[in-house]
Amino acid sequence: MTFVLSLVVGTLFAGAAYLMLRRSVVKLILGMALLSHGTNLLLFLMGDGVVKGMPPFVDEATGVTPTAAADPLNQALILTAIVINFGFTAFILALAYRANQAVGSDDLDDMVETDRL
Amino acid sequence: MLVLIVLTALLMAPLGLFARHESRPVVGWILALIPLALFVTISALAPTVLAGGRVEQAIPWVPRMGLELRFALDGLSLLFALLVSGIGTLIVLYTAYYLAGDPGMGRFYLTLFIFMGAMLGLVLADNVLTMFMFWELTSVSSYLLVGYKHDYPSARRGAQMGLLITVGGGLALLVGLVLLGNAAGSYTISEILAAGEQIKASPLYTPAMLLIFAGCFTKSAQFPFHFWLPNAMQAPTPASAYLHSATMVKAGVYLLARLHPTLSDTPLWLYTLTIVGMTTMLIGAVTANRRDDIKGLLAYSTISKLGTMVLLAGMGGPEAPAALVATILAHALYKGALFMLAGAVDHEAGTRSLSQLGGLRRAMPWTAALAILSSLSMAGVPILFGFVAKEEQLYAAVDNGLPPGFDILVLIAVVTSAVFGVLYSWRLVSGVFFGPRGSGMKEHVHEAPAGMLLGPALLTTLSVVLPLGLLPATATLLQPAVNAISNEGAKISLYLLPSQIGLPLILSMTALLIGAVLTRFEPQIVAAPSPLPPWLNGDRIYDAAVDGVLRGATIFTRTLQNGKLRSYMTWAVLTLVVVVAPPLALFGFGGLALPTLDGVEPFEFVSALLIPIGIVATLNARSRLGGIIAASFVGLMVAFIFVIYSAPDLALTQLLVEILTTVFLVLLFAVMPASFERLSSPSERSRDGLIAVVAGMVIAGVAFAASSVTQVPNISAAFRTESQSQGFGDNVVNVILVDFRGFDTLGEIVVLFTALLGIYAMLRLRPVADPTRDDEETPLQPTLPEVAALLGNGQAGQPAPREREAPVAGKGH
Repeated sequence: MTFVLSLVVGTLFAGAAYLMLRRSVVKLILGMALLSHGTNLLLFLMGDGVVKGMPPFVDEATGVTPTAAADPLNQALILTAIVINFGFTAFILALAYRANQAVGSDDLDDMVETDRL
Repeated sequence: MLVLIVLTALLMAPLGLFARHESRPVVGWILALIPLALFVTISALAPTVLAGGRVEQAIPWVPRMGLELRFALDGLSLLFALLVSGIGTLIVLYTAYYLAGDPGMGRFYLTLFIFMGAMLGLVLADNVLTMFMFWELTSVSSYLLVGYKHDYPSARRGAQMGLLITVGGGLALLVGLVLLGNAAGSYTISEILAAGEQIKASPLYTPAMLLIFAGCFTKSAQFPFHFWLPNAMQAPTPASAYLHSATMVKAGVYLLARLHPTLSDTPLWLYTLTIVGMTTMLIGAVTANRRDDIKGLLAYSTISKLGTMVLLAGMGGPEAPAALVATILAHALYKGALFMLAGAVDHEAGTRSLSQLGGLRRAMPWTAALAILSSLSMAGVPILFGFVAKEEQLYAAVDNGLPPGFDILVLIAVVTSAVFGVLYSWRLVSGVFFGPRGSGMKEHVHEAPAGMLLGPALLTTLSVVLPLGLLPATATLLQPAVNAISNEGAKISLYLLPSQIGLPLILSMTALLIGAVLTRFEPQIVAAPSPLPPWLNGDRIYDAAVDGVLRGATIFTRTLQNGKLRSYMTWAVLTLVVVVAPPLALFGFGGLALPTLDGVEPFEFVSALLIPIGIVATLNARSRLGGIIAASFVGLMVAFIFVIYSAPDLALTQLLVEILTTVFLVLLFAVMPASFERLSSPSERSRDGLIAVVAGMVIAGVAFAASSVTQVPNISAAFRTESQSQGFGDNVVNVILVDFRGFDTLGEIVVLFTALLGIYAMLRLRPVADPTRDDEETPLQPTLPEVAALLGNGQAGQPAPREREAPVAGKGH
């Protein structure tokens, strides 16, 4: 299944790259959202492999987590990444909002000289 | 002791700044005590060296890199250290008169002392890396000294040229020294010399030597890098006399002499140094005769003598080391004096041009007398030390270690350069001090102040007195230096009159005679065309190279940094592909198992495939709302993937974040255009599509390779076992976040808070729209209330204009 998921990661990156190469600010933001999904999934695949139906919880009986359970480390990393990415996206959205007010355009090419604003 | 000597000069450098407030020459007398003390201290160490000993001192610096501040004093270091500190004393004194009343004198002294410390460090270093550091420091201080009169473009250009060429050579030198150190297994110079045979047998010998030669040739102004030295004559004369004649430019010669004992007897060394040295010697000697500026003339004669020294270091033969040492001393004595006297003439007469000077012997009798004596020494006229050194050169050239045919060529070259030496010495003396009174001089020319003549007088006296009975003593003093250059037991024996009339004396006299005859043809020789073809003009090549680099940088910047985000993106994505794809294809898939479908259920496929479908929908969305919905769908499907593969925390977080993001997007799009315009042309779209697909394939490959490699044992195991015992939690992911890696989570919160501050600043704080502002021309001017807010004083400004933007700020919240 990792093979299929790898292909999914690839399509996420390809879609993100295409959207980020567009001139529209909105498409740029959507592209960054896809990019973060792709990165998270890429991290997800880098653990000890994907496991179905066995979250990294401690077994009550033994007091330790079964080694067959999913890798907790990359899950912790991804969790942090999701939250930080949320803060980042919110910031970019505010920036785009201000830029739209200042320039009155969705076109990045109209923002070449924004250092004057 | 040696460390102290180097550090004293460097640490005393700020004392030079006192000259800023005290412009009378007395400050020079006081400051001269520093190099004088160094000179005395080094002299006090001389008996040890003369007795065949060696003074060493080492301070570990970065032991793991073989870097240590290791200093050693042997005969060669002693000679150079005495020259640096001795002539340095005279130069410091001379500067006080030459720059009297100049407000920048303090700065000049500061740099001069830094140079002195660097030069002492260079010649005393016994570790190649230590030596390199001081080597570069001399380049930098030379840059500052040449650019002293930085108001003049020519001074800036000269300084920059010297810096770029010597530091460029310095880079080559560094690589060469590291290769040498690797071949020898040590960075200590004495150990490198001890491993000479091993280095010569190593394949690193040739590249190391060629790179070191590049460093030495640029530093010592050898052809084809010689052109920076005449341009460095923009420096104030004390700096020219000190750096660009007596000391710094000899650093390259010093290093060659240093490596000479065990690394020299190879064809590479022999031919490279002989050919380059010979060419430089002849070009310098010929060009010196075509110069009108007396400092230019002296600069080219210095180039010629540096060429002679490199030739002597290269050509081999039993007498070459002795001749090299004698030449170094003789040149420092007469050229140091002549530069200082040229400065005195410039200072008093107001010009350095030979065509504007003349007849100064009456106005400046002392200067004239000293200049005549030193010029006679430069010309190699008997009973002066220059003659003794020239005898040694000819003796070495007659008995050189070159193959037949080539040896005659070198001999002829040495004699030729001696002939031209007579000619330019004569030009200097007759042009400045004899003939009719010059046209371009000041109205009333006076003799230079006594303090300015003290240094040249001392050096000239040595040139005169040494041959008169002091030659055996001089030879004794120079013998340790010869020992350091030659390991074949070469002996230095200086003589004024040889016991029998041999070939060297005949050649020497012949050169004097031809030179004297040629003085009759001075105008023709001055007007003769340059010996170099016009395209081989170093100045012009340098300018073209600098211009080319700047133009290339401009084109490069305009292409890569054109201010458009998507072109940066394109380059970034392409770089990713180019850097990652080849190693991935070569090494990424070794031993990978083919993908199997064991235990994969259909719903997994379906949920995974829904993501690409969502992406395609996002790409094709024509309305903003469609785009948002499609992108949110992708996010939700990613959350579903987390659900399937045992990551409930991730799924929960992703779900919440996705919902919030969607809400924000919808709010944002309230102000954005309702639908996407087609902004790019079809060709752009297909090009970007191609880039995106290739990048996606590379990333998919990386993901597959990464997910399939055998894991080295990682820290996940520890987290699994210690989650309950150490963190008292059953959900390992949660325990990691709030306990094991709690500080990371704290950092994450800080990031979120910072983003929040930024968002608040963007949405709430904003410049007031100014109706008078012209959008195209004037930059943003803060209004009164804003200035008040920035200054932290809310009462100072007018409160009224704030209300104007209130409706705008409220919109969208």
